[in-house]
Amino acid sequence: MSVTAAHRLRLVIAEDAVLLREGLRRVLTDAGLEVAGVAGDAAQLLQLVAAQRPGVVLADIRMPPTQTTEGLEAAVEIRRRWPGTAVIVLSQHVETEHLFELLAGDARGIGYVLKERVADIAQFTGAIRRVAAGESVIDPQVVARLVTRPRQDGPLQTLTERELAVLALMAEGRSNQAIAAQLFMSPKTVETHVGNMFAKLGLLPAAEDHRRVLAVLTYLRG
Amino acid sequence: MSRRALAWLIAGAVAATACYFLVARPPGPNAYLIFYLGTPAVAVAFLAAGLAAWLRWPGSRLGLLFSLVGYFTLLPALDYLDNPAGFTIGNAAVSLAGAALAHLGLAWPTGRLRSRFERGVVVAEYASAAGFSLLGMLVWDPAFSGCDASCPANLLLVYGSRPAWDAVNVLNAVVSAVLTVIVVVLIVRHWRSARGWSRQAMVPLVWVAVVIGAESAITNVTGLYRLPPLANLIFNGWAPLVSLLGPVLFVISTVRARTARGALGTAIVDLEPGAPPGRLRDTLARALGDSTLQLAFRDGNGFTDTSGLAVDPAQPDPGRAVVPLTGPQEAVLVYDAGLELEPQLIRLTVAAASMALEHSRLQAEVQAQLELVRASRARIVEAGDAERRRLERDLHDGAQQRLVTLTLALGMARSRVAGVDPELEALIEAAGKEAKEALTELRELARGIHPAVLTETGLAGAIQALVERSPAVVTITEVPRERFPAVIEATAYFVVSEALANVAKHARAGTAQVSIRRLPGRLAVRVSDDGAGGARPERGSGLAGLADRVASAGGVLRVDSPPGAGTRLEADIPCP
Repeated sequence: MSVTAAHRLRLVIAEDAVLLREGLRRVLTDAGLEVAGVAGDAAQLLQLVAAQRPGVVLADIRMPPTQTTEGLEAAVEIRRRWPGTAVIVLSQHVETEHLFELLAGDARGIGYVLKERVADIAQFTGAIRRVAAGESVIDPQVVARLVTRPRQDGPLQTLTERELAVLALMAEGRSNQAIAAQLFMSPKTVETHVGNMFAKLGLLPAAEDHRRVLAVLTYLRG
Repeated sequence: MSRRALAWLIAGAVAATACYFLVARPPGPNAYLIFYLGTPAVAVAFLAAGLAAWLRWPGSRLGLLFSLVGYFTLLPALDYLDNPAGFTIGNAAVSLAGAALAHLGLAWPTGRLRSRFERGVVVAEYASAAGFSLLGMLVWDPAFSGCDASCPANLLLVYGSRPAWDAVNVLNAVVSAVLTVIVVVLIVRHWRSARGWSRQAMVPLVWVAVVIGAESAITNVTGLYRLPPLANLIFNGWAPLVSLLGPVLFVISTVRARTARGALGTAIVDLEPGAPPGRLRDTLARALGDSTLQLAFRDGNGFTDTSGLAVDPAQPDPGRAVVPLTGPQEAVLVYDAGLELEPQLIRLTVAAASMALEHSRLQAEVQAQLELVRASRARIVEAGDAERRRLERDLHDGAQQRLVTLTLALGMARSRVAGVDPELEALIEAAGKEAKEALTELRELARGIHPAVLTETGLAGAIQALVERSPAVVTITEVPRERFPAVIEATAYFVVSEALANVAKHARAGTAQVSIRRLPGRLAVRVSDDGAGGARPERGSGLAGLADRVASAGGVLRVDSPPGAGTRLEADIPCP
């Protein structure tokens, strides 16, 4: 992939497992991203971000010293101190609690991705680029759990299979264009589906993608 | 007391009473029966009380004093004898019963006089009773009292003088009245200074002393005059019967001791097990009727009673007595010395107190052991939880992390060979898929061992996760966002987890509700569904295990699952 230096994405990586950290650094550098630094824990990460002011931060949720949610807290802190910085957290959890903590502020430029996604390098770098561009990226498996959840008869039950697929992609943070491409529809059709669905679910139509992500996820979770 | 002594005493009393009826002249047709029967009635009552008192309190002088009053009451009847000696003795002894009565009152309730002064008063009582009678006899010509020649002679008569005799009588009345007042005042003072059991014993005596004292003072005065027949009937016939209150006093004290015995038994039965020593003391004191009762325990070198006062069993305060309790605990009862008269009551109290203390001790021991077992069970569960957390963390930091790294490496390898060696690429892709599967399985395994989301975000996130995973339609009514101690969170979590697993497996339920409410001192977990019901804790080992788990946290699990009407699982978990 050839990207001019001016457009090269600068990112920092926070991951306590050395092998994985170095692997990620290599893969992402090979993919044409500029890895401005790596950190082994949250404190290092915050120092690194302060010094480097990267465009994107890639952080493991669980890091030393407590191995619980340091990465998440650091991500929230980074968003608070440097609001323009995009953040992707790597999680081992399919559970949504952390996701919503992360989304509580502004969903723009936020990614919540299961750790094993790093295996598909092309997809993974794609996700990083999307987040860097201000989109939201929510792991499909997490979204799938919310969409396929059994629920009482309600508006969701009235959606067609096609509409549900669109809904899931919306929840993953995809734009109408991306949804159209993935589902082989015209952008116009996608727009119609989205409009219908929002009307059925009683959601206010949201112009910006990252706003509708939160709206849809919240709806699905409730 | 020996049977022999008892026989003598009974014989004496019967003989004295019989003698009275032998010597006393039956009343004539116009006389009042009270003058004939009043004396033996009073005497017999005192003699009987004396016997009973001797039996009840063999070591005390009270039996003797009661008997003495009885005999002295009969003695003046000797003047019925048509015999100068009897006539003389009878007249001389006319006031002795009153003196003995005063003696009895001052010696009540122990039988002992309390001070030198009181001994002096008693001596004065006897001396004035005998002395004035004898003095009067020296100058009394029976003719002064309307006796004609039919009266026997006064053997002590030296010189008959009416003015002298009148003077002796007045002096006698004055001295008697003064002595009576002194005795009554002393008795009132005894009552005022007495505490506990003794004070209770003094209460009826004060009433009796005031009544008898008043009667004695009045008849002292009226005795100086020749009374009209009705006044004579009242003052000399009926009034002396107030002496019967003396024996009544004995009856009251007997009833009181008996009541105390019964009350002690009831009190010990009613005393809740494990009551604090202070409560035991209060109960015993109330039942016994001794408000001064102290229950003292060994405390270092000395003893301390239940209200924190130091007690020296070797040297009790004056008027107090000490008895040790039986049993492994070193404890003593300190009580009013007046109770020494009732050794049986003391023995009973000691037995009751010892038993109650022993009961409390055993109770406390069992409680302590139970507490140990409870604590150890809680520790085992906590250790299990900690071990599960450690395992989960090890899996995450170890195998999971390595698998992620492996998948990344495989991804890198795959991108290297992409388009170069399709066969190898397919192979690497398959390996990557396997690694991902392994990762997913490992994640589920780790989650089952211990949900990291519980440690990380508490109940709210963990319950939400459970609900998202449940194949049934589950709504969360309420879950507190605050954090609780790990054991409490884990217990609440496993209750909901197990309940939802049952909903999915057995209940054939459409919907379920979960609520966890923070109540004062506890966490109330409730999971209810609209399924088939019929769940029984003993049937599924899952529910039984869950009940154990909740119990180990000090809580209770209730399962309400009528067939066909859904299942409601409720756990109350203590929570500070």
